[in-house]
Amino acid sequence: MTTVLAYLDPGSGSMILQIIAGGLAAVAVTAKLYWGRLLKFLRIRKEEPEAAKPETARGSDSG
Amino acid sequence: MSGPDTHTSAETRPPEPRSSGGSSGLEPGSFRDPESRVFYAGDNVYRALSPDGLADFEALAASGLLDDERVVRTEQAGDGIPALDHLLVHEPAGILRHERIPFVSYPYEWTFSMLKDAALVQLDLLLAALEHDMVLKDSTPYNVQFKGARPVFVDVGSFERLREGEPWVGYRQFCMLYLYPLLLQALKEVPFQPWLRGSIDGITPSQMRGLLSFRDRFRRGIFTNVFLHARLERRYADRPGQVKEEVRRVFKKELFVANVRKMRRLVERLDWNPPEGVWTAYGERNTYTDDDARRKDDFVREVARSRDWDLVWDIGCNNGRYSRIAAEGAKTVVALDADQGPVELLYRDLRTERDERIVPLTMNLADPSPGLGWRGLERRSLPERGKPELVLALALVHHISISANVPVRELVDWFASLGSALVVEFPTREDPMVKKLLAPKREGLHPDYELEFFERRLREAFDVERSERLESGTRVLYFARPKKAG
Repeated sequence: MTTVLAYLDPGSGSMILQIIAGGLAAVAVTAKLYWGRLLKFLRIRKEEPEAAKPETARGSDSG
Repeated sequence: MSGPDTHTSAETRPPEPRSSGGSSGLEPGSFRDPESRVFYAGDNVYRALSPDGLADFEALAASGLLDDERVVRTEQAGDGIPALDHLLVHEPAGILRHERIPFVSYPYEWTFSMLKDAALVQLDLLLAALEHDMVLKDSTPYNVQFKGARPVFVDVGSFERLREGEPWVGYRQFCMLYLYPLLLQALKEVPFQPWLRGSIDGITPSQMRGLLSFRDRFRRGIFTNVFLHARLERRYADRPGQVKEEVRRVFKKELFVANVRKMRRLVERLDWNPPEGVWTAYGERNTYTDDDARRKDDFVREVARSRDWDLVWDIGCNNGRYSRIAAEGAKTVVALDADQGPVELLYRDLRTERDERIVPLTMNLADPSPGLGWRGLERRSLPERGKPELVLALALVHHISISANVPVRELVDWFASLGSALVVEFPTREDPMVKKLLAPKREGLHPDYELEFFERRLREAFDVERSERLESGTRVLYFARPKKAG
């Protein structure tokens, strides 16, 4: 496929912005994920109640 | 300053295209995208595709997205299509046939919720496309049309295969033609329609920044999409090649999806409501039961059901009461009103009812949509998009003649120029509403606003089939047909 971008001018600043905005979103998602893990590790947030899942007997200590 | 923006257009066909200016059957508004071009033959709408365009279309067909009800019905056309010269730079590799949209409308005629719904269709289709490693190459609301109150995406040529490292090319255009107009109305109570009618490419980031206050930058999404956007645009304006390469190196599809999702959440939250008085009036007019209203209903209903009307205009539609009656005997009703408020409420109701016959639009009949864009042909004037077979002008004449100062003679001549049947209401000078409109004016103004004069002019231009004076005595209804030529 060709390397040219589409017929529409995407705007240089507009492209940079998408990286910044997307980057911020990525950072936020990652941070949220680690924050959740930290809370679990510190036992501030409880693990999901096992009774809620159908196959409780097998256990779910995958992570 | 940034370079000019480009976009494709609403690529649907007006029922009576005027030959002036446009070459044989080419859609004059479909020229910006070199991969596809819309043209007409007979009653059909076609699209010629370049080899790249055809490959994109095949990917689209394989993805199943072509069957999505938000996308205009499209099929590969067989042989026997009259070939047109100069459709594309090279010989077309394929031809598509599209479903026809009954009446073409433009974003500067839509209400807030219509533009918002179109924006959501645009974003949802982009997200759906991304799941199949495809994108929409642009983000213009001119690619959305309304079938009644249902938005339909008409530019099948906008779908293309996603290239490695490509950012959301249509992001800037989305801001200029969707996000900023919506923000303007949601945050500032400033109607966006004159801005879109004034600029075919919309509002630029720096213009939008100029319209917002310091406080606004703390609102959700505003700092990034307006303030930062405007600043980055200025900073990188003279380095397009370098930026393109850098972006390609780091950009990932996940980033693309995250950005579109974030935009969707932002648009979803935007809200605008007509002033309280509009709600009250909207509801009241729907429930009034006095004798005049009933007789007016019957008058309109009788005309509406007298035959199958293809296209009806209800000008000065207000809450759409008569548009609904007209729809009992019409394929398509275009409901127009200069006041965005009642049209917005009408749209919301029609949307809930999943109506596909009444297209609600906001437009001032004393200043209707002109031809716009390249050669003034990209966007067409109102009558060039299909003349109506029947026009309803109820509770309108006094507004045009007295408030907008259009002489009665000229108004009747304009009705006649449409060549359609007419249901028109004339409120006499004794009518309370007319008195109210005349009150601020100098004594003796509008001497032509007289029942007798109006009726004489009407009978000169039309064959009046029926007339009825309503019970109150201050309003007269007419049903008239155009005089046969010669």
